[in-house]
Amino acid sequence: MIAFSLSQIIFVPIIASILVLLIGRRIGQKVGWLSFATLCYTFILLLIETVNLPNTGFRLTESYPWAPIVGDFALLLDGLSAVAALTITLLSVAISVYQIKYMEKEENLDFYNALYLLYFSGMIGTVLSTNLAIFFLFFELMLIPSWVLIGIWGTGDKVKVAFKYFMFTEVGAVVLLAGIGATYMLTGTFDIFQISGVSSQLPTTILSVVVAMILFGLFVKMAIFPLHTWLPDAHAEAPTPISALLSPAMIGIGGYAAIRILYTAFPVIAFDKNFMYSLLLLSVITMVYGGLMAFAQDDIKRLLAYSSISQMGYMLFGIASSSVIGLSGAFLIYVSHGLSKAALFMISGVFMHDLKTRKISEIKGLASKMPLTAICALVSFLGLAGVPPLIGFWGEIFVFAGAFYASFNPFDTARLVTVVTGVVLSVLTAGYGLWTIRRIFYGEIPDNFSNAHDPEWKMLYPILLMVIIAIIIGIYPRPLTEVISNIVKGFFS
Amino acid sequence: MADQMIFAWLAWVFPLLGAVLTPLFAAINKRVRDFMAVAFSFLAVVSTLSLTPLLLEGDVSWPLQSQVSWLNVEGSPILGQIKAGVLVDPLSIIMSNVVSIIAFLIMVYSIEYMKGEEGLTRYWFFMNLFIGNMLLLVLSDNLIQMLFGWEGVGLCSYGLIGFYYKDQRSGWLKYWVGEGDESYPPSHAGMKAFITTRIGDALLFVGAFIILAFTGTLNFVELQNGAITKVPFWALLPAVILLFGGPIGKSAQLPLMEWLPDAMAGPTTVSALIHAATMVKAGVYLVARMFPILYVVTLVSSSPDPQAMFYFIAWIGAITAFVAGAQATVSTEIKKVLAYSTVSQIGYMMLALGVAGLSVEFITGYVASIFHLVSHAMFKAALFLAAGSVIHATGSRFMRDMGGLKKHMPVTFWSMLFASCSLAGVPLVFSGFWSKDMILEASLVSGEYLLFVFGLLTVAITAFYTFRMVGMVFFGEGKSGSSDVGGHVNHLHEASPVMWVPYVVLVAGTIVLGVLGYFARHWMVSLFEYLVIVPSETHPTVVTEYIVAFLSSLAIVVGFIPAYWFYLKRSKPADMYTQRYPFLLKVRNFLYNRCYINRVYYCLIVYPTISLSKWMFSNLEVRVIDGFNYYLGRFTLSFSNWMFFNFESKVVDELNYRVSDLVKRTSLYFRRWQTGSLNDDLIMVLAGLFIIVLILKYLISAG
Repeated sequence: MIAFSLSQIIFVPIIASILVLLIGRRIGQKVGWLSFATLCYTFILLLIETVNLPNTGFRLTESYPWAPIVGDFALLLDGLSAVAALTITLLSVAISVYQIKYMEKEENLDFYNALYLLYFSGMIGTVLSTNLAIFFLFFELMLIPSWVLIGIWGTGDKVKVAFKYFMFTEVGAVVLLAGIGATYMLTGTFDIFQISGVSSQLPTTILSVVVAMILFGLFVKMAIFPLHTWLPDAHAEAPTPISALLSPAMIGIGGYAAIRILYTAFPVIAFDKNFMYSLLLLSVITMVYGGLMAFAQDDIKRLLAYSSISQMGYMLFGIASSSVIGLSGAFLIYVSHGLSKAALFMISGVFMHDLKTRKISEIKGLASKMPLTAICALVSFLGLAGVPPLIGFWGEIFVFAGAFYASFNPFDTARLVTVVTGVVLSVLTAGYGLWTIRRIFYGEIPDNFSNAHDPEWKMLYPILLMVIIAIIIGIYPRPLTEVISNIVKGFFS
Repeated sequence: MADQMIFAWLAWVFPLLGAVLTPLFAAINKRVRDFMAVAFSFLAVVSTLSLTPLLLEGDVSWPLQSQVSWLNVEGSPILGQIKAGVLVDPLSIIMSNVVSIIAFLIMVYSIEYMKGEEGLTRYWFFMNLFIGNMLLLVLSDNLIQMLFGWEGVGLCSYGLIGFYYKDQRSGWLKYWVGEGDESYPPSHAGMKAFITTRIGDALLFVGAFIILAFTGTLNFVELQNGAITKVPFWALLPAVILLFGGPIGKSAQLPLMEWLPDAMAGPTTVSALIHAATMVKAGVYLVARMFPILYVVTLVSSSPDPQAMFYFIAWIGAITAFVAGAQATVSTEIKKVLAYSTVSQIGYMMLALGVAGLSVEFITGYVASIFHLVSHAMFKAALFLAAGSVIHATGSRFMRDMGGLKKHMPVTFWSMLFASCSLAGVPLVFSGFWSKDMILEASLVSGEYLLFVFGLLTVAITAFYTFRMVGMVFFGEGKSGSSDVGGHVNHLHEASPVMWVPYVVLVAGTIVLGVLGYFARHWMVSLFEYLVIVPSETHPTVVTEYIVAFLSSLAIVVGFIPAYWFYLKRSKPADMYTQRYPFLLKVRNFLYNRCYINRVYYCLIVYPTISLSKWMFSNLEVRVIDGFNYYLGRFTLSFSNWMFFNFESKVVDELNYRVSDLVKRTSLYFRRWQTGSLNDDLIMVLAGLFIIVLILKYLISAG
């Protein structure tokens, strides 16, 4: 136990961001290492607390009186938030190294790093908070720095894209806020654990409207069809390190929050067959639609963005299964997608940085010049497709198993048909993945890329790290599944 | 016994370790790397061979199992505890030995065959990874762990088919596959293999998860010990048929068969190991693994329906055997002949498993499929390796560039001839004869005569294409004038011993197994007798055996004669007949176009997916969905503009102006009173006072 560890995880980066602004100018390029050090500190803190979780009964809480009505500033680290927070922190640490090289030619790096740290705090805060009002606060904190980051350091039509990103998320956030407000009106509290006691006595129709409002806000973040169109733009035009955080870490938080809020605060809705069936339908549409759209892209980053939409469909597929195994699977998908997609976005950044292009049609035959990059890209795409021994395999197996289990207990034809459709069309993921690999890495290398080579260590090692972790936890996912299922089973007791 | 179980773990751990260490050995030097790669595959041989004494012990209670805890999903009714485990029974012992021994021989052959190629570290890595995954697949005691190996071998297959990933047009003659508009570069073929098998796997997932939803386990032993009966029959039948989708994809059966011929773009060693001897048998293996489990169901359920799943697999096998065999008769590439032949022979194995389920006495069919699996693995690996030597020597994969090689490559010729005899099922001294006849017997005994006829027809076709291949490659005149190959023919020579020893060993194996065939068969039946639940008296009689042997020999002769006439003796070119009889030409073209199955893949699945996605992207995504978003934005803007001009300016602001105007005018009116003269002011003050007094008075009187 370390004093104030959870608050430290959130607030140390915020304080560090001020420090970065103060001394950033003076240390120039080295400012990136400052955010790296800060994030390392939070990562170690988080790791210690996570390893220590079994001794605290899998629940580490911190709570401070904050404001009347709103209630306490309550933070919780349990199996679920630990996994999500560790993923986010790991990605942030890796990407903070990557961006030192990637962003070296950019200006105002002090400002950039300060925003980067704030963005991180926003994400971690959303994951750790259990008070809906504070959750919303961090939800917005997550948005603003990322909006600025896209608007200033982005590419292409960055101002417009940033604006679109902001507007979409804000519309979602407003509906979410309305949902949270309605929850407060109905239950008299913002604390999700207290809500659950009251919510089960309320009429389901009213509750389902409230939950639908909350989910609407989260689904905009998750980019569930048809609320997804901000994502391809934002992911494609954000500076690559930010794309590598937006997609793998941030959008999945929508899914995380959906599990947390739905299953903790509104268990009645979570076991409502019709409501969950509508989520299942949405998830299958999103999976298939995202996969299909990925086939049509020529811009690597845009392709990866659509692939993220598809993967969020898989996550929702697990959420909609109302079963221990499906929910655990949704979490594994979050982790697997985080690792794979972060690696892939960083690889797309390698192309942009070294080859000055990100069009698939302009790249060819790079495997012989960039063998390690090629291997990492292949492994990452296979991770998305759920090929063993990567963690994605377990995610896919679990969400599928959960979905089938739910459609047979009790038996429901419509549900079964939807699930089968989803599972069969999961082939699309392997399809666009391998096709992309083939177009980028195979074939004869054009003359203008004859000097291409694997990137330098600052950009290569973070990519390798993602891949290696995906393999290791794929072979032995036990620590992960144990902490997750330990909490998830509580939803079903 | 328990001390031997460790070898079932080591068997797949060694090669996987070897694969992981390959880059390290490569860092030392090339010789160490090559040597260590082969050494690790040898360790796998040692491990699997250590399991064989179990087969000879009389009193083993099969199956032997050894498990360790792998991962937990607490509180989940399904997959709550997943254990890693190995399952040792006659089936896995036989299969693992076939895999490891053939793999080892091919690894030895690779040293010479792959010498000087680029990317050998990658080659050795994938080869050992393949061996490890294949043995993992074979020795797994549950389906989840088996899927690790299953997908792993698929990945290795992908990596090795696309080994020459540069797709150089200059290497077309050796490294590509197909010609005309159905010619594919290696990287395309690799992707195709992976995705086609993945379609089968998706169906496998569906089937497996339906079973899982009811039983809560996918452990083979638990399923056999009654868990399978928890699945209600209405769910089991579709589940099993979908489950067979995996084997159909992996073992290249109809309708997912066309990836295998294209997989020949990989190095010949890979074709021999992965796409003939071992990986493509994984599907057969899975069906064989599930067979006793499913057979239990047919005994429990009183309705005749359970047999539907066996009918399904038997017909898939029979039709595939026939169609693929027919396609082999017109192939122009030596490896493609062998590939189609592989598909066809695997069809036989599926047929055997199917008819086994249809018979009261399933042991004949069941053992027949395993027996054929073993014998096919040997002779087909030998054929591929010999074909590799031929391609190595001539520099072309097309049989039209070969011919007359008999005198240049005698060892290869004799090896290939004997292996071909085994493939065609030439009686008595070749293993292929015994195993194939056992399959035919099983289908005859099952009473499904139509299946038997398909089997018999395929025997004739097999004989034809086999000897057609031998004739085109080794007989006739040498082709010195082939435009593509040029002068190779002048310095044709026998392959080096490192290459020919492995296939000579395999050929010797198939002959030994052939000579001992009769005993081998009975020994194998006795090994699998423990599976029999309801003993039956209807063994195939000696008479059936003779009838089948006679008919199949006759079929071989029927197939051999035209092959001899056209390709060995070459008295008349085959083209003459196709020109004379237009019908024959049509059949030939139909077969040459791969029965249009391959085209159907592209026209029905690949192209529509891509064009659908492009169409949806430009119309639905950009125009409708995002268009709606932008429309909403623009609507908001123009609405606010309209509001600004019509409401804000004309109504609200107008009102403000009016009000201020009114105030102004009122003030102007009162301004006239502000004269500034003292008299007027005093009058006003007095008037004011007067009014105040009046008001006060009124208030007081009212109060």
